[in-house]
Amino acid sequence: MKILVTDDSKAMRMIVVRTLRQAGFAGLEIIEAENGQIGLSMARSEAPDLILSDWNMPEMNGIDFLRALRGSGSTTPFYFVTSEGSDEMRETAAQAGAMGLIAKPFTAEVFADALAAVV
Amino acid sequence: MITHDELEFARPDLEALLLEVLTSVFTEEAYPDDSPLPDGDLVTARLSILEEDGGSHLGVEIRTGGVLARLLAWRMFGADDPREPDLLDAVGELGNIAAGNVKSLLFHAARLSLPGARLDGAAGPIPPEGSTGGPTGDAADGRAAPVTVGAAVLGQVVRLTLIPGADPDGLTWPPTTDDELLETQP
Repeated sequence: MKILVTDDSKAMRMIVVRTLRQAGFAGLEIIEAENGQIGLSMARSEAPDLILSDWNMPEMNGIDFLRALRGSGSTTPFYFVTSEGSDEMRETAAQAGAMGLIAKPFTAEVFADALAAVV
Repeated sequence: MITHDELEFARPDLEALLLEVLTSVFTEEAYPDDSPLPDGDLVTARLSILEEDGGSHLGVEIRTGGVLARLLAWRMFGADDPREPDLLDAVGELGNIAAGNVKSLLFHAARLSLPGARLDGAAGPIPPEGSTGGPTGDAADGRAAPVTVGAAVLGQVVRLTLIPGADPDGLTWPPTTDDELLETQP
């Protein structure tokens, strides 16, 4: 399974990748992007099976990344991994086409529960 | 603008927030600690929350000593001797996590800046609590005094400070939604 991890923080990208492995997901191919613009380009060129994206990023934020993706017809499963986990954010994410929102800080168990349906 | 009194009212929630963030990020139990920050190297992560009603800013700063910052970078990057950019990235992300949770706690409609981080506490001095203004805690120029909560993890102190009306100069912001731009994406 190919997973695109999009976050402007290299540290957070590493944590997400490590947490995916700690959650017990095996056989993963991880590709990374540092903002929504690069993520959108990689989503089109690499055809990932799952996208995990931060919300606040330079160049293109996560919600715009998702809307552009859905606007182009993509149905790739998309989850936000973000420091903001309010009900309003979750609703905005869902309305834009996200399958879910994982709030930071998170645990491997949270990842396992949230992503079990798609990984 | 959120006031000093409102932040003081939220102090127990802010303390719990800081403990939860540190415990989760370090996977070690954090505990309340109002000790001063250590002498020597300090690393500061700085963000701003812009209230969309009224347009006022709430500054959010996470500050800790170099020892914990290097521990954090080691845990994130696995490097025994992290380079400065990695150190700042790690502490910046800690600040981002804390500020995002502060935003969710205190605001309904607001924007969060991208994090900035600096070494040696060079983000600028944080005014001591109660150092500005009159008896109510409100400064003569309308800004309110900051509120700071402290905790420790792995024996190292971390302080979270919220600064009403803080100048967001130097911070960058994620782009806002531009529907016209999205419609023209190839």
